[in-house]
Amino acid sequence: MTFWEEFLPALFKGVLTTLEMLAIAAPASVALGILLGTLRVYGGRVTSLIATAVVVTFRGFPLLVTLLLLFFGLADLRIYLTPFWAAVLGFILCSGSYQSEYVRGAIRSIDIGQSLAAKAIGMTKFQEVMYIILPQAIRRALPGISNEIIYMIKYSSLAFVVGVQEMFAVGKHFNSIYFRPIEIFLTLAAIYLIMTTTATIFFKWLEYKLRIPGIEMGV
Amino acid sequence: MGKDAVLRVEDLHKSYGKLKVLKGVSFEIRRGETKVIAGPSGVGKSTLLRCINLLTKPDKGRIWLEDVEITKPGININKIRQRIGFVFQEFNLFHHLKVIDNVMIGLTKVKKLPKDEAFRRAKEALLAVYITEDLWYKYPAQLSGGQKQRVAIARALAMDPVIILYDEPTSALDPQLVGEVLQVMKELAKKGVTSLVVTHEIGFALEVADELMFMYDGKIIERGPPKEVVFNPRHEITKKFFEKVGRLYGERR
Repeated sequence: MTFWEEFLPALFKGVLTTLEMLAIAAPASVALGILLGTLRVYGGRVTSLIATAVVVTFRGFPLLVTLLLLFFGLADLRIYLTPFWAAVLGFILCSGSYQSEYVRGAIRSIDIGQSLAAKAIGMTKFQEVMYIILPQAIRRALPGISNEIIYMIKYSSLAFVVGVQEMFAVGKHFNSIYFRPIEIFLTLAAIYLIMTTTATIFFKWLEYKLRIPGIEMGV
Repeated sequence: MGKDAVLRVEDLHKSYGKLKVLKGVSFEIRRGETKVIAGPSGVGKSTLLRCINLLTKPDKGRIWLEDVEITKPGININKIRQRIGFVFQEFNLFHHLKVIDNVMIGLTKVKKLPKDEAFRRAKEALLAVYITEDLWYKYPAQLSGGQKQRVAIARALAMDPVIILYDEPTSALDPQLVGEVLQVMKELAKKGVTSLVVTHEIGFALEVADELMFMYDGKIIERGPPKEVVFNPRHEITKKFFEKVGRLYGERR
């Protein structure tokens, strides 16, 4: 079997694993980011403190350390996560913490009049946040969120440290056997580039889809 | 409480730190009445309106809406606000919602009406302020200021409120757009929609107000039939104010 005949099928499996991690971690991190950002603005003393603690922690830890703690650290405490779920959880916590700041900033940027008008028609705080504030804030946070998802695609390669057989792990393994770094790592780079470009196009489409007629700029 | 009074305000006080904004305001409005509050900037007119729907919490004093004292501790503020329409100077339409949804959202989410019933009532309210069907599916940013304010009035009206409070509803509008909003407000007042209006538009007060209240320094210092207060004021301050405002707004009387 030639190098390529052996490498490509293995790589294909690795790419699938990477995509699987991302398919779970990306939407979940957005949800966590919205939740944390909202709680930091609207939460009570305790909930906003907890949200702040989560953000400070997982934005402060290097992702590498978070992953090792989730896999090896928790195992020491007899909480056993599979490599796959340890990695996914780490990505969600890290990315969600970063995204929450975009969401928090976006919420803060919404004109106070929107909140007053919601209250004036009798909305509860929860209704105001769900129907008036967040739909506008998430639109504003979208460019930042897209940034974080693109980061996530790239740092998903860190999952190899806990033993996930994702695409980078496959590449690294093959390089240690065949020592063909140019072919192997350029192939990996090209695949990451395709993924990030796809994400960029997706978010551009989403922004367009969610635009509010009359207030889009630069058209 | 007086017969038919839908709103009664009694000895309302509000301070921001050391600044006393309201220093004991009392009045009442009966069903179907329109009352206008006028006065220079910074005398507490907006604060007074915001105290009435509890967007601002008064320090002292009591407010009744129909037979419910709404300043009582433990009252459900959201329930009360559903029954008080509020029209803002800056419109404050929900930017991300189409015109029809701006009017419907309070009906579907707050009053929990079924969609078709909410649509019917929204339609009715929009037509009452002359927002025709071609505008229902536009977004606020695509409307003129006058249209925006009329949609905001429809949003308040659709909730079927006991009273509508207007906080300088024409002050943010271009002069040529003021007329269409005032016209709608006059029609609603004449139809018997109970209204409390903070405005500098003397013409509006003269034409439809049952009473004009002049506020100065946190108090209502003069009140009575609009003609009396405007043309025959007792206080020098009132006289000076209406002379000045009359020069600015007189042509629209």
